[in-house]
Amino acid sequence: MARLANLETEYPVLDSTVRNFCASHGIFSVEDFLIHDLYMLAAFAEQNDSSERLKEGIAQVLSIIDDMHQPWLNGMELLEDAKRNKHVFPTGIQGIDLLLGDGIRVGQLTELVGPSSSGKTQVCLRTASNVARNHMVLYLDTGNSFSPQCIAYFLGKTISPSSAQAKNQFLQKVMSNISCHSVFDIFAMFDVLHQLESYLRCQDGRGCCQMRLLIVDSISSLISPVLGSSSTLGRALMTSAGYLLKKLAHQHNLAVLIINHTVGGEGGSSKPALGDSWKCIPHSRLFLSCDRGSNTYNVSILRHPSMASVKAARFVI
Amino acid sequence: MEIWRLPISASQRGKLISAGYTSLSSLSSISSSDLARELNVSESEAMNILKVASHSRGSETSNASCSIVEGAQSAWDMLHDEESLMHITTSSADLDNILGGGIHCKEVTEIGGVPGIGKTQLGIQIAVNVQIPNDFGGLGGNSIYIDTEGSFMVERAFQIAEACIEDMSEYNRFLRKDFQECKIKMQPQDILENIFYFRICSYTEQIALINYLDKFLSEHKDVKVIVVDSVTFHFRQDFDDMALRTRVLSGMALKLMNLAKRFSLAVVLLNQVTTKHTEASFQLALALGDSWSHTCTNRIVLYWNGNERYAYIDKSPSLRSA
Repeated sequence: MARLANLETEYPVLDSTVRNFCASHGIFSVEDFLIHDLYMLAAFAEQNDSSERLKEGIAQVLSIIDDMHQPWLNGMELLEDAKRNKHVFPTGIQGIDLLLGDGIRVGQLTELVGPSSSGKTQVCLRTASNVARNHMVLYLDTGNSFSPQCIAYFLGKTISPSSAQAKNQFLQKVMSNISCHSVFDIFAMFDVLHQLESYLRCQDGRGCCQMRLLIVDSISSLISPVLGSSSTLGRALMTSAGYLLKKLAHQHNLAVLIINHTVGGEGGSSKPALGDSWKCIPHSRLFLSCDRGSNTYNVSILRHPSMASVKAARFVI
Repeated sequence: MEIWRLPISASQRGKLISAGYTSLSSLSSISSSDLARELNVSESEAMNILKVASHSRGSETSNASCSIVEGAQSAWDMLHDEESLMHITTSSADLDNILGGGIHCKEVTEIGGVPGIGKTQLGIQIAVNVQIPNDFGGLGGNSIYIDTEGSFMVERAFQIAEACIEDMSEYNRFLRKDFQECKIKMQPQDILENIFYFRICSYTEQIALINYLDKFLSEHKDVKVIVVDSVTFHFRQDFDDMALRTRVLSGMALKLMNLAKRFSLAVVLLNQVTTKHTEASFQLALALGDSWSHTCTNRIVLYWNGNERYAYIDKSPSLRSA
């Protein structure tokens, strides 16, 4: 949404008379236009000398604004879209798949929360290796914890023993579907998500192997350095990151998996980091914890659109 | 994309917004002199802002590359890269075993333990071991030792260096029984020369140093390990603002991760322990809390069991707990 001055080259209707008129009401950009009372503006325009020009100008700006909003969808179209595009991807871990009703859902943001060393990265790697058989996966890593050996190990377990060469080829095919990128601050992540967006826009036209899974490990380490200072920028960045991820998930049919960590809450219990503002952003939240002694992991649902909360399961990796 | 997603200073951002520029497309058609005039900033600042903006926008249009985003690597390539990465031995066979060969490069490893268990010694040992030349299975690199507690003893480092060289010549004699060129050219002084030592006395110095390391490492490409002893010392006592502490620590951890990845070096952080109350029992846990525990790639805890030292792996992406 640009300043009116800059739009003049494209829309010559918005010449200096229109702009001066708008400036006299404190409108400098298209956004200011939206905030103002349009009826009042039209009334003032009537009283002005060159009212025709002004009305044309106002109409033009309104049509620019009209182009910018998302198209309306009715319920049937949403249902069609859901049936056609919004599949469910199994994570490959039986306990979690049973708990979630077949797996993580495309078009939604799923968050894994847990204390340190509770298996979150392992679950992500497992899911990535499962989804990568047929689709592409992008893994954004903040802690250098992406381990190709783990992925190779998980894939090796799932295929039947065959010749080493066939196994190698299979590994190569599947692992080339996984791209890993390291991001170390939140602005770099925005850059990457932006590039991803333009890539996905062209991908939607093609029919070949498409990207279906985005993993961010972990979003809390990107946001913690900016959150909580006296300026509100940190919180703005956090919410905007959440919305961007949800938008990518819905519009381009991605499943997004993010990892969050825990901090100490009241009474010594742990609660998810990033605070209350973040709590409502992911669609589903799963809480993981690990039993050191028996080496099994527990997962419970904190929030899910279609499952009851407080259900829990155990699994072994 | 909005203005406040750009990495520019808060005052510049404020000026841009009050002048009406709230999104990147509005900056697309303006020249730097016009921008400088409108915002009342210097021309170079305006050029800077436009450069950052066009860089972010330019990345939108370039999608001809084969990878999804620039700089991403496929997992298959990474698997092969990892196989060629070397490890830094800790000179203790058992520890090396559970670590999978030694300290990994490109990762941040945190080692914690009670006082007196030997963390500083281990740190010095690693700083020396990284200099073992390639022929003997080492990395042949330099090391940076950041000391916050003042427990680095040069005499002890000298002893360790001497022992290391003795080890190498023994290994030499053991394996290569012929008279080929396998003389140890290293002297203990050379080893000590290749350890860059920084002593810091407050947390601001610590942050400043880590920011400076970026430049330092671009000049000294041979550095292969950074040892920080100990990373928690200045953050434990007298820190009033807990939120500030979390922010500073996580920012520092991300920068260290970045250095480890970009320059392919290993970062070893030594940490102290504290007691945690869980279910009415006391358990030793590494200091600095839960948020810090998520910031490193690997964690090793050293503890006493009777008269012997034990180590166990608390967190690691590719190794089992042991």
